[in-house]
Amino acid sequence: MVRRNNVLVGLAGNPNVGKTTLFNALTGSKQHVGNWPGKTVEKKEGTFTYGDVQCVLVDLPGTYSLTAYTEEEAVTSDFILDENPDVIIHIVDAGNLERNLFITVQLLELGAPVVLALNMVSQAQSEGITINQKLLSELLNIPVVMIDAKRQGGFKKLLDETNTVAKLHKKPDLKLTYGREVNRTLKRIKDFLIDHDTFTEQEQEWLAIKLLEDDVRSKKIIRQKDYARDLERLVRENVVQLENIYGKDIHALLASTRFAFIRGLTREVVHERKDKNVSFSDTVDRYLTNKFLGVPLFLGVIFLIFEATFYLSNPIIRFFESTIAFFGHSLALVLVKYGAPAWVESLLIDGVVGGVGSIVAFVPIIGVLFFFMAFLEDSGYMARVAYVMDKFMHAFGLHGKAFIPFVLGFGCNVPGIMATRTLQTKKDRLLTMLVIPFVTCGARLPVYMLFVGVFFPEHRGVVIFSIYLTSIIISMLSGLVLKKILGNSLASPFVIELPRYRVPSIKGMLIHAWERVWIFIKKAGTIILVFSMIIWFLASFPFGVEYGSEQSLVGAIGKTVAPLLAPLGFGHWRAAVALMFGFVAKEVIVSTFGTLYGIDMTVVSNSVTSIAHSFQTDFTPLSAYSFMLFVLLYVPCIAVVAVIKRETHSYKWPLFLIVYTTAIAWSVSFMVFQIGSLLGF
Amino acid sequence: MGKSLITFNVGETVSIRCVRCGRNFTKRLSDLGLFDGALVTILKNDSFGPIILKVLGSKIALGRGEAEKIYGETK
Repeated sequence: MVRRNNVLVGLAGNPNVGKTTLFNALTGSKQHVGNWPGKTVEKKEGTFTYGDVQCVLVDLPGTYSLTAYTEEEAVTSDFILDENPDVIIHIVDAGNLERNLFITVQLLELGAPVVLALNMVSQAQSEGITINQKLLSELLNIPVVMIDAKRQGGFKKLLDETNTVAKLHKKPDLKLTYGREVNRTLKRIKDFLIDHDTFTEQEQEWLAIKLLEDDVRSKKIIRQKDYARDLERLVRENVVQLENIYGKDIHALLASTRFAFIRGLTREVVHERKDKNVSFSDTVDRYLTNKFLGVPLFLGVIFLIFEATFYLSNPIIRFFESTIAFFGHSLALVLVKYGAPAWVESLLIDGVVGGVGSIVAFVPIIGVLFFFMAFLEDSGYMARVAYVMDKFMHAFGLHGKAFIPFVLGFGCNVPGIMATRTLQTKKDRLLTMLVIPFVTCGARLPVYMLFVGVFFPEHRGVVIFSIYLTSIIISMLSGLVLKKILGNSLASPFVIELPRYRVPSIKGMLIHAWERVWIFIKKAGTIILVFSMIIWFLASFPFGVEYGSEQSLVGAIGKTVAPLLAPLGFGHWRAAVALMFGFVAKEVIVSTFGTLYGIDMTVVSNSVTSIAHSFQTDFTPLSAYSFMLFVLLYVPCIAVVAVIKRETHSYKWPLFLIVYTTAIAWSVSFMVFQIGSLLGF
Repeated sequence: MGKSLITFNVGETVSIRCVRCGRNFTKRLSDLGLFDGALVTILKNDSFGPIILKVLGSKIALGRGEAEKIYGETK
């Protein structure tokens, strides 16, 4: 391992203890998001300087344990053992020390140089909990500091201690006693390791305990050795023996020992007032998780978010629109002045500015919407929604835990599908993967916005809300049907912590929203730009035809497909072309309309322009609604198809997905348009 | 062995006696503080859907199917 000049610091902790807040506060904008090598788990890295020391801070995944069953849990121990960090800052919730110290104990057993950061101290105090920080530090023999991650309190002390630990290279000396029988077993395994290998004492210690726990990483280390078989047998025999003696599962046995140690510790350092009031969280939960009110309140919250998103983003969108229009006009003037050929002018104005510009106008909506979503997540409400929704997800064959991939799917289906890895059975995973494409992602939003802006300016919130509701209903129903087809499965278990409610930090929410916006902008600059130019090309050739007319190549393609769409109410060639290219990315539908109808298509706000008029001759409000539903339900973008191919290792499921989503989209739009026409809309 | 967790009423404190959830999930529950011998308080138990428990100072929502396979007795 190469030693760096700067200090490598890992940031560990349970979920919901303010880890991300601390990470953001320390590193500011100097962040880099990547993947852990060979893993699908996201790796966040940032840098900061303290005095003359340059620190690299690595955000470790929030987990409840370091014994690895999942990739996320393996990351932390891999990091500590392979990369030899100088310091691990372990951030804990002061109000819940007993649970949080579980990882501390495991970190110390791993030999990690830990600095313990007690966060949310004042919140704990208001609930009647005080901590003897000095005593805790003495008992664990590690530095303990009190911080306030949100208000950046106590950072100087935290960084001082971090620096000291980094300089001293002091290894912890905590040793838990697991009881006579367990200790005997551990000794047997260690003796075996001493006889057969050359591990250091600390490594032996760690390997012995982790092998008992059936830890993935330690098993992998052992598997490569020639004595693997003998050792595995030794471990297995001993586990069986221990489980018989104690009448407990081995994990329960070890966990209860660790927790017993921690309880002894907290009894001395934590003082809890007996006459605790009913906390704010409990009061709020009485309503938000109520069996009758839970779901209506959730729907209400989502509805409010849409209304607020439109209300707040409208002025910014207007500004964007006028800027883009101004840019287009200026560009045209410049091109004319320098005598650029007409086709260059057309490519840049119609193709690029028309296509990409029509997408860029939606940046504010994406930003504002995901800002609110981050609020739901960070405030602790999302976990309650998972609880409330579990009841209903179950009824429809989906698993409550599938709700998390589901929620991610509203941002983008791709990470949603990747998150199905947290589901344990293959069938649950497949089912969830096939349903997520019906979840309306952020990329589909611009399409809805375009249409509501022109056709339903008075009822934007309601119309978009109905689309989102349809999205949820169709996903649930298709879950029910697919469950019938795939057969019943053993459901993956559902368990989730409901963290205390708190006011999220503005900075954290801004960072989250910015991440979404940036993805969107990158897409506009690459894939959408390229396809805008392709569509411009197809709309301009063969030479001599009027740009974007039926005689152009694109017109010919569109006219071939259009009859299939006629029963749905939008059987004209421009819609057909837009839908075909929408397979690349759903935003391309908007940019295609932008390229085909001309630059002034961006009519998100109420400023309906003359070109919107021609848009209105192609669509009626009913066919526009039918079109929105079709966009919601038909083939997801190519990235989704690709990720399903990768995750299922087969062509069968992605192909199945393409066919059945399109079939459902066609049927739903058909019914809505036909019934709507009969009713005289 | 005691009774299944879903049979307890809100407010009762239960001492866990037996967890029959399969190896991996039993480990996960242990990490959360739900193991043989642990004390939990029932915070919410509607007639359907997950139950909410107080375990080691935090609220944990647990699927009904899983809660059914965990046994305990009142303390």
